Amino acid sequence: MDTQQYIESGVLEEYALGILPEAERAEVERLAGIHPEIRHELDAIVMGLDAYAEAHSLTPPPAMRDRVLAGWQQAVRGQASEENTISLPPMSVAPEPVAAQPTATFTPPVASAASEPVVRPISSAPEPMQQAPARGYGWLMAASVALLLSLGANYLLYNRWQHTQSELFAVQQEQAQFATTQQASQKLLATQQGELAVLRDEQFRHVTLAGTPAAPSAKARVLYNPATRAVYVDVRSLPVPPAGKQYQLWALDNGKPVDAGVLAASTAAGEGLQQMKDIASAQAFAMTVENVGGSPTPTLSTMTVVGNI
Amino acid sequence: MNVIPPEAIPSLSDEDLLVQRLRDRDESAMTLFYDRYSAALYGVIMRIVKKEEEAEDVLQESMVKIWNSFGSYDAGKGRLFTWVMNVSRNLAIDKIRSRQYRVGSRTQPLEDSAAVREAASPTFRPEHIGLQEMTKQLNPDQQQVVDMLYFGGYTQSEVAEELDLPLGTVKTRARAAIKVLSKLIR
Repeated sequence: MDTQQYIESGVLEEYALGILPEAERAEVERLAGIHPEIRHELDAIVMGLDAYAEAHSLTPPPAMRDRVLAGWQQAVRGQASEENTISLPPMSVAPEPVAAQPTATFTPPVASAASEPVVRPISSAPEPMQQAPARGYGWLMAASVALLLSLGANYLLYNRWQHTQSELFAVQQEQAQFATTQQASQKLLATQQGELAVLRDEQFRHVTLAGTPAAPSAKARVLYNPATRAVYVDVRSLPVPPAGKQYQLWALDNGKPVDAGVLAASTAAGEGLQQMKDIASAQAFAMTVENVGGSPTPTLSTMTVVGNI
Repeated sequence: MNVIPPEAIPSLSDEDLLVQRLRDRDESAMTLFYDRYSAALYGVIMRIVKKEEEAEDVLQESMVKIWNSFGSYDAGKGRLFTWVMNVSRNLAIDKIRSRQYRVGSRTQPLEDSAAVREAASPTFRPEHIGLQEMTKQLNPDQQQVVDMLYFGGYTQSEVAEELDLPLGTVKTRARAAIKVLSKLIR
């Protein structure tokens, strides 16, 4: 088989995005197992998407850790006890307190990893205190408390710093987005000003193109300036062309069709004016449905609108 | 044995070890799992559902699902990361689908859904791999398509319809975007 062609087909990307039907997924996995070059390409694609996903990483709030782990445990034990209820009724009760235990021990809001080493010296402190002079241990206590406080403060500051950083990034993103929107608006404004100028220009002749019997409700207009040869098309309503097809405008000059260019999908949908190819001379305009990219000659059976100047 | 410092062991074996422990139904492995994968999973879940409360639900559902269907994970087909990311991503997408279904807004006007998708969530962690760096390499059209497919749960035809583009263009953009992403890490 031509593995290069298979790689180029785009099916591996679809596999990685998870949008392939089950049967095709299995086929990709089968071929990756046989052809090392497909395996290699597939791995690279999957790693790329994984890295993109990982780039969105976001540490959950610290308090979420215990809630999610406890919730998970409850769900899993719940299932286990449901399975056991008939054969071993006491079992379903027994694990419950155990399940509740971790929640109780993890309650301090400070991440447990950070608090553990600090808490231990304090809990072990009272015992030796009875034999040794209290003063030395007093210092130890004070130092422990100071350390605990400092850890707490560090933790808060770190959290706040992280928060500030993500806020800053969010604001930067918003700003970038705003700039993009602004640019798009400027472009749209310039386009519409251009369209308005064409519509107001008295040199332009307005040619109404009416629907043919094939599409009686179709309606469009051509704005033609014989002096500058400029041609614009303005669609009121056109049937949606079939897949792989596109509208093409023709100028009829002494009965001979001259290609005036194809209509963009947005133009055909009536979103705005589109400038077409310059036309030196014409007595009528018409539109036909052609293959995407246009044809050298019109397919007369697909003529949708036509109009004389 | 003690000649090799623990850092020298490739991180892949960490994953193998975790997989082994999960396969052995070792409950304590899920704590380790959380510490290792929660940030990556939570980031993507938040990107999809946008609300912290729902993201927490989805994260927990993901953990339950990963535990319960761990038998269907095949290490020969891909990394644990890829598998768990897909589990979470699909649950998150199901979540917004059921939300949209409840509100009955699956076919809301384009501006609405686009606005929801584009609202920058204040949750990216720029210091990680550098989302900014990655997205800088994608042109906005490519990123839009890959985000709709990967985070939005759209099919390629749905993207084509929503963006009013030929299906071929959508396919080309998706392929180009992923090519860029995989080149970045090669």
